[in-house]
Amino acid sequence: MNKNWINVFIAALFEIFWVIGLKHADTLWTWAGTVISIIISFYIMIMAGRKLPVGTVYAVFVGLGTAGTVISEIIFFGEPIKISKILLIIVLLIGVIGLKLVTTDVRKGVDS
Amino acid sequence: MAWISLILAGLFEMFGVAMINKLHNERNWQSLVLLLFGFGASFLFLSIAMETLPMGTTYAIWTGIGASGGAILGMVLYGESKDWKRLIFIAMVLGAAIGLKLVS
Repeated sequence: MNKNWINVFIAALFEIFWVIGLKHADTLWTWAGTVISIIISFYIMIMAGRKLPVGTVYAVFVGLGTAGTVISEIIFFGEPIKISKILLIIVLLIGVIGLKLVTTDVRKGVDS
Repeated sequence: MAWISLILAGLFEMFGVAMINKLHNERNWQSLVLLLFGFGASFLFLSIAMETLPMGTTYAIWTGIGASGGAILGMVLYGESKDWKRLIFIAMVLGAAIGLKLVS
């Protein structure tokens, strides 16, 4: 798997941290972690857009971040599992895999 | 006022996404400043909207305007692929993300 796609997935992982942080942070340390996660996730996402189409990167970033947050809320914060959530996550993942398959790198001249 | 803030938040997010393209094409400080301004303004208006509107709906509409608008601007202004398969997969990802924010 290409490095730019791995970066999109890492950016989405950090997005999960800060979305949870915005909702649950209540100490100086958790707020610091939230802010650092925002900076890291946006930086990695923006750099992934150097080679991959930005519209695709941003959609996958937002989509995986949302799915990851919903799953984390179920596992760690006792939110109910609903069939609608599972179906939507499956649709979302099919979309992400599809985008991965149809995307070719843009700005090939740019050194990575 | 909350709804106007929400739409502005979505439009600024769209602008921020377009500035990512501008930054990579032009590689200058002006683009970076515009990018930070776009996302900064977007979060500011989002937080104003969230004071009165329900969180799931607010996030869903914000994502809907910002990410799909950003993808459209990428195609119109920056020559990103208009391949129908790409459009369907982006619609699946964003449609599912909006749905998840509404049901959560």
